[in-house]
Amino acid sequence: MMDGQVASRLDCRGLLCPIPIIKLAKAVKAMEVGAVVEMLATDPGSVPDIGAFEKQTGHRVLDRSESNGVFRFLVQRTK
Amino acid sequence: MTRVTGATDAPRDGREVQRRERETAVDDTVKRILYVQTSGMEAPERSATVFFLATAAAAIDIEVGIYFTQHGPTLLQRGAPEALHIKHGGAPLSHFMDQARDLGVRFYVCQPSLDLNELKLADLIEGVEMIGGAAFNNMALEADRVICF
Repeated sequence: MMDGQVASRLDCRGLLCPIPIIKLAKAVKAMEVGAVVEMLATDPGSVPDIGAFEKQTGHRVLDRSESNGVFRFLVQRTK
Repeated sequence: MTRVTGATDAPRDGREVQRRERETAVDDTVKRILYVQTSGMEAPERSATVFFLATAAAAIDIEVGIYFTQHGPTLLQRGAPEALHIKHGGAPLSHFMDQARDLGVRFYVCQPSLDLNELKLADLIEGVEMIGGAAFNNMALEADRVICF
């Protein structure tokens, strides 16, 4: 089962809005329901953007963290 | 050939199929934003934001349309998006337009706006849809928000 496992990784470091959110949207559409994508980004706007992504799409942000200016998000496809 | 919104001609590609599916599947839970773009080739610095925001909206499952009026239709002229660079050394506008359309953002114009810029629908890039003033206002009322540039 794919559930909860990190199915793919998305390196969006150095990319500016709206590229990270576009890549995330495409990645989530391409994976199975329940699967998780790990996304790395450096644009600080990606933090509120991930929140908007979660709110509007209904997919779940399982974890969000930051280390040395790199944001890491775990996003699960829910439907 | 004049493209008519809602016509029953055969879908041409995957994007068209997705559009048709969306048109037939009425879903009140879908959020809609209608953008209005009034600047055109005369103001490169005012040309790209609408595509960035429309693309970001489409990426979070918002149904998005852009209505090009006043100088806006000049951005849709065949060959124009490839020639317009917002930032020196940056990607051409066509890159950001393609990104938007790839996620299903729809482009609309009306005849008076084309006349103003001495353009015909045939002069524009593929897939631009023709609407009228009544249809625009109806789209505005059905949208959750209308944002003008």
